[in-house]
Amino acid sequence: MAFAPDAVLETTLNLLGFVVGLALGIFSYIGFKNTGSPTLFRLNIAFFSIGIGFGVVGFGYMTELFILKYAQLDSWIQTLGIGIQTIGYFFIAFSHGIKSFFPKSRYFKSIIFPLFIIPGNSIEHIIRSISFILLVYGTIETIMSYMENRKRSTIFVAAGLGLLALGEFLGWYSVVFPKSILYFISISTKITGLGALFIPISQVPLRGGMKLGGSV
Amino acid sequence: MSIIGDILSTTRDEAPDESGASVTYLIRKANVSYGRLAKILETLVQQGLLEQTTSDRACKYRISSRGREFLQAYRGFREFADSFGLRI
Repeated sequence: MAFAPDAVLETTLNLLGFVVGLALGIFSYIGFKNTGSPTLFRLNIAFFSIGIGFGVVGFGYMTELFILKYAQLDSWIQTLGIGIQTIGYFFIAFSHGIKSFFPKSRYFKSIIFPLFIIPGNSIEHIIRSISFILLVYGTIETIMSYMENRKRSTIFVAAGLGLLALGEFLGWYSVVFPKSILYFISISTKITGLGALFIPISQVPLRGGMKLGGSV
Repeated sequence: MSIIGDILSTTRDEAPDESGASVTYLIRKANVSYGRLAKILETLVQQGLLEQTTSDRACKYRISSRGREFLQAYRGFREFADSFGLRI
């Protein structure tokens, strides 16, 4: 049986996202184990969620393609994967202090308003719009941090989060042109964004290993 | 977390002599109250990151090899968190 090339490409890109997300998650976990820092713990949850989200889509499609041999891929797998990724984006935004902004009505509007402009109000598109908002928020906060510390690696992180946001936007917009190249551009943009988040890792020496007790 | 980093950095790089840094010196460098510093120092000694020494009847603190490893990891991951615009 011949497999549709677009389905295979989609599966491969998602599996690549799974590997990149997982690698970032493992790195953050090592950081948490070494320092006991709650920030690194949140980043660890964030990147594991993003990686697992990609993995759910990638492995789900792989199972349907190669084991179950479905002709049409189930859309709920995509929805589930994106939902798990959104948890990750939430934790990145949360680390930037989303909690302190949440009660403000303007922020509420920015979350609630897109729900009414989403075509068909499908769960996948609602989740994508939330991801987009969280990622844009994270990008803006990171750019603000760059203005303060002028670190080159910070601008790479801001670019990475921005690309993830653009990828989510393109993914959401691909509903207008289903089965077009737009969706693959969306996944590729997201993976490039995840790759840009790797830049800070290259500057950290991975040596030593101990955890400070949480009692301090 | 940053206070711990400051204390360990001070005991490693800025200790006035080989016997280590005194509590007064650390209070000035870490900019924390005596009560808070005492608790942190007790924990750091228990964790094996600092060594307590007695010199001229004064209690002093010196960084251990474990503390040096921790400080190196802390600085690396602080850079990582800084890149995200976050504080660890």
